Amino acid sequence: MDRRKFVTLTSAALGLAPWARSSWAQQGVFRIGSLNPITGAGSPYGTGMLKAIQIGSAEVNDAGGAGGVKLEVYAEDSQTSPQAAVLGAKKLIGVNQVRAMLGVWSSGESLAVIPLTNDAGMILMNTAGAPALSAPPVNAKLLSFRLQATNDRFGRAFAQIAKREGFKRPALMAFNNASGIGNTEGFRKAWEAQGGQIVASVVYEPNRPTYRSEVQQVLRANPDVIVTGSYLTDTELLLRAWYETGQQVRWIVPGWAAGPDLIKAVGSQVAEGMISVESISDEGAPSYESFVSRFLQQTGMRAQDNVYATMAYDEVILLALGLQAVGPNATSAVLAAKIHELGNPGGTEVYRYADGKKLLAAGKKVTYVGASSRLNFDQYNDVTPDFAASFAQSGQFVRKYVVKL
Amino acid sequence: MTFADIVNLTLNGLISGMLVALPALAVSLVYGLARFPNAATGDVVSTGGYAGLFAYTASGSLLAAGAGAAAIGALVGLASYYLAFRAILRRSVITSLLTSIGVGFVIRALLGVMFGHQPRTFDMPITRAARWHGVMLNPTDGQLVLVTLAVLAIVFTLLYGTSMGRKMRALADDADLARVSGIGVERSMVTMWALTGAVCGIAGMMVGVRTVVSPDAGWDTLLPAFAAAVVGGLGNPLGAVVGAILLGVLQEWSTPLVGFVYKIALAYVVMLVVLLIRPQGLFNRVQGVR
Amino acid sequence: MLDYALTLAVVTLIYVLLAFALDLQYGFTGMINFGVAGFFGAGAYTSALLTMRAGWPAPFAFAAAMVVCGAIAWPLGKIALRLRDDYLAIVTLGFSEIIRLVLVQEQWLTNGVQGIPGVPRLWPTWTTAHSELFLLGMLCVANVAVVLFLRHLTHSPYGRLIQAIRDDEVAVKALGKNPARFKTQVLVIGGAITGLAGAFFAHYMTYIVPDQFVPLITFYVWMAVIMGGVARLSGSVAGAALLVLFLEGSRFLRGVLPWVSDDAMASVQIGAVGLVLILFMRWRPEGLFGRAREGSR
Repeated sequence: MDRRKFVTLTSAALGLAPWARSSWAQQGVFRIGSLNPITGAGSPYGTGMLKAIQIGSAEVNDAGGAGGVKLEVYAEDSQTSPQAAVLGAKKLIGVNQVRAMLGVWSSGESLAVIPLTNDAGMILMNTAGAPALSAPPVNAKLLSFRLQATNDRFGRAFAQIAKREGFKRPALMAFNNASGIGNTEGFRKAWEAQGGQIVASVVYEPNRPTYRSEVQQVLRANPDVIVTGSYLTDTELLLRAWYETGQQVRWIVPGWAAGPDLIKAVGSQVAEGMISVESISDEGAPSYESFVSRFLQQTGMRAQDNVYATMAYDEVILLALGLQAVGPNATSAVLAAKIHELGNPGGTEVYRYADGKKLLAAGKKVTYVGASSRLNFDQYNDVTPDFAASFAQSGQFVRKYVVKL
Repeated sequence: MTFADIVNLTLNGLISGMLVALPALAVSLVYGLARFPNAATGDVVSTGGYAGLFAYTASGSLLAAGAGAAAIGALVGLASYYLAFRAILRRSVITSLLTSIGVGFVIRALLGVMFGHQPRTFDMPITRAARWHGVMLNPTDGQLVLVTLAVLAIVFTLLYGTSMGRKMRALADDADLARVSGIGVERSMVTMWALTGAVCGIAGMMVGVRTVVSPDAGWDTLLPAFAAAVVGGLGNPLGAVVGAILLGVLQEWSTPLVGFVYKIALAYVVMLVVLLIRPQGLFNRVQGVR
Repeated sequence: MLDYALTLAVVTLIYVLLAFALDLQYGFTGMINFGVAGFFGAGAYTSALLTMRAGWPAPFAFAAAMVVCGAIAWPLGKIALRLRDDYLAIVTLGFSEIIRLVLVQEQWLTNGVQGIPGVPRLWPTWTTAHSELFLLGMLCVANVAVVLFLRHLTHSPYGRLIQAIRDDEVAVKALGKNPARFKTQVLVIGGAITGLAGAFFAHYMTYIVPDQFVPLITFYVWMAVIMGGVARLSGSVAGAALLVLFLEGSRFLRGVLPWVSDDAMASVQIGAVGLVLILFMRWRPEGLFGRAREGSR
C-alpha cells in the first residue's frame, strides 16, 4: 500500500473515532470538560487537577448523581498553551459535547478559552490569577468562576503580613509572567497605598540556570524582606543565590512555591524563617481533610503540594451542588447564579457533596465550604478567601496566623 | 556600581558560561565530524541529569554520580548514532538537523514517560560564599569550575594527544582527504558520539545539581549552546568553550544597561555581530564556502 | 463537531500559509530559515495592535502586518547573505528569539507577558459563528491568492533563478547575477506571507501572548514542509494537513490506548512527533509529494 493510501485511511479512522464515541450518548449524563495542563509549565499540577476532578465526580456519582444525572469527565491536555487550550476546548465542546469547562489553570489559557465558553453559554471554572479575567468585557456574562484569589488579593495579603511583621524596606522579585508580576504589583499597590516604599524591584526571566545577578541587584538596595511572585524551581534558585551572599534578609513567598518540596530542595537552614502565604479554608475543615486523604489514597500524591488540585475538586462539587439545586436543564445563567449563591454565606454550611444534596433536596439553602478555601465569590465570581501566613521553622512550615482582607 | 559589583558580575558570567561550555563543546564536536548542529544535545543533557540523580541517590558520592551521568550520556549518544544518525549522515544539513530535533523529542518523551514531569532536586546543602572585599567566592562554583576544567582537559587531551584524536581532527578538517588517506571513519564517529554523549551527561548532572532535574531541563541550554558554538566557530572545540564563557560574561556585564530580559537577547545579538564581521566564527579559518 | 472541524480547518490553513512561505525560502531558494515563529508573532501583534489601539480597519491592519514583517526580514537578509546553511539556521533561530524578547519587554506597546486579550474578530458586530466562518473564508481567499502568486513566481524566469541559487550559487554568480539580492527578496516575500498568517492567527484566537511564538512553532512548520514535499506547493498543503492531523489526532489516541495514563499520553504525543520526523528524514526526505532529489549537499 503506498503512502498516500495509508495516510488517507489513517485520517479516516481517526476521524471516525469520535463519532463512534458520541453515538453512545446517553440520557441522564452531564458531561464535564477537564482541560488541564498535563504538559507544559503547569505540568506539576495538571495531572493532580485531573485526578481531583475525577475524585470529585466519583463522589457525586456515588451519592446518586446531581439533579438526577451522573457526571462524566472528558479530559484534554491544554499543554499550558493558549492555542492548544483553544483546540482542546473546541474538541471538548464540539466533539464531546461537554456542558461545563473545569480545571483550566493559567491566565493565558483561561483568557483564550473564555470567549469560547461564553459563546457556548457554559460555565468555566479556572484557577488563573490575571486581573483581566474579572472585569467586563471578559466575564460580562458572569459564567466564569475563579477559584484562586486574584494576584491583586495575594499582593494585598502579602502587604498586610509584611506590615504586621514590621518590615520597612521591601524589595520585589517577580517571575516574568502574568501571575508573577500580578502578585508583586498587587503588593506594590497595597504597600504604597499605606505610605510605604519599595526599595528594589526585579523581574526575572524563566528557565535560567542561575539568578545570581538578579538577586545581587536587589540585595544592593539593602531590603529587609524580599516579596516574590515565583514558582518552586526559580524560588529555589533565588534562595540559593541569596544564601550564598550571607546577607540578612527575610522572604515572603506564595504558598504554591513555598512548601515542603522547597524546604527539601534548599535545606532547613536556608529556609528558616521564610514566610509562606496561601489561601486557606477553616482550620481542619472536613472537606479538606477528607479530600486530602482520598487524594493520597487514590493517587499517591499529596494534595498539600498541589493547591490547584484541591481547587479543582471544589469546582466539581460546586457544579454538582448547583445542578442538584436547579436541575441539569437550567440555563447557564441560572446555574451560575446558583453556584454563586452556594459559595457565599447565608445557608447551612456543608463540607461534603452528599450532605449538601440532602439539604438541597429538602429545599434548604446551602453554603458549601470549599476544601481549598471559603469561597465567598465577589461580584465578579472571584473567590475572596482568607490567607494564612506560615513560617518555616526547623524544616517545617508552621501556620502562625490568618489574614483577612 | 562598585568595583566589587563588577567583579561579581564577571564571576557570575564565568559561571553561567561554564554551565553552557560543555553543551557548546558537544555541539561543536558533533558538527566537526557529522557536519550538522545537533538539536538533541539539550535532551541528552536532561538525561544526564536523571542519571546523575539516581547515581547520587544510590551512592551518595558526587563522583559516582558524575561517572554514572557520563556513562548513560555516552550510551544515549551512541544509541542516537546507531538508531538515527548513522543512516542519514551523508545527506544534507537540514536532514540531519531535523532528525536531531526528532531524536530530541523522542528522548524527552521517554524521560517523561519513565519519570514524569515533576521536577526533582539533588539533596545537597547550600554553602555560604566567602566574601573578600565585597567580592563573593563560592565553593560550589569552585567545584563547578574544577569539574568543567577536568572534563575539558580530558577532552582536549583526547583530541590533541592521542592518535584517535588526531584522526578525529583530520576527519573534521577535511573528510574526503582523511578517508582517502585511510583513516577509518566509523571508529572515529563512534568515539565522537560516545564522547559528546558523556560530555552532555556530565553537563546535565551539573545543571541538575544547580537547578532541577526534569525532562525539559536540558532544552534551556540548547539555544545558548548553539549561540556559543557559532560565535566560537562551529566545529572548533576550543572556540565553543571560549564562546560560551565570552557570551556568559558579556551577558552579565550588559545587565545593568539592558535589563534581565534583553540580557538573554544579547547572546543572539553578539552572535549576529560576530558573524557579520567574521562569518566563520571567531576561531575558525575561512573554509571553502559559498 | 462542525465547530471543531472549522477550527481545524482554520489552523490547517494558517499552517499552509506558513508552509508556503518556508517552502519558498527553503524548497525553492535553499535558505534554511528557522525564524518563522518570530515573524509569525510580529505579524500577529502588528495586526492586533493596529486594530485595537489605532482603530485601523482589518484589511489595512493585515496589509500592515505583511509590510512590517517584510521590513523586518530585510536586515535579516543582509546578515544572512554571507552565511552557510548551518549557521543560517542558528542565526535565524536567534533572530526569532530576539523578536519574542522584544515582544516580552516592550510592555508599553505589547502588554508584555500579560498578553493581549480581546483581539477583535472579523467583524466584531457579527456573531462568533459568523465571524469564524468569515475568517475561514478570507483565509481560503488568502491561500488561493498566495498559491497563484507563488506559482506564477516559481514558474517564471525569477523562479528558475532562485532555484538555480539553491542548486549552485557559484554558477549563478559566474553568470553575472547577484544572488544576494534575490535571497533577500525571497526572505522579504516569505516574511510578508508569514506575517499575514500571524494576522489571521491573532484575529482567530483573540488572545495573543509572546509565549505562543516559540521555536517549537518553527519546528512544526518545518515538519509540514518536509513531510509534504519541498519545492512543491501542493506538498505544502498536504504537509500542513498532515501536521495538524498528527498534532490533533494524538488527542484521539487517548481512546485507543486506554492503559496509558494521561500524563504519559502527552509524552507519547511528543515522542510520536519526533518519531515521525526521524522516519520521514530516513525513508522519505523528499516528502510525500516532492520529487526524489538525491546527492549530499
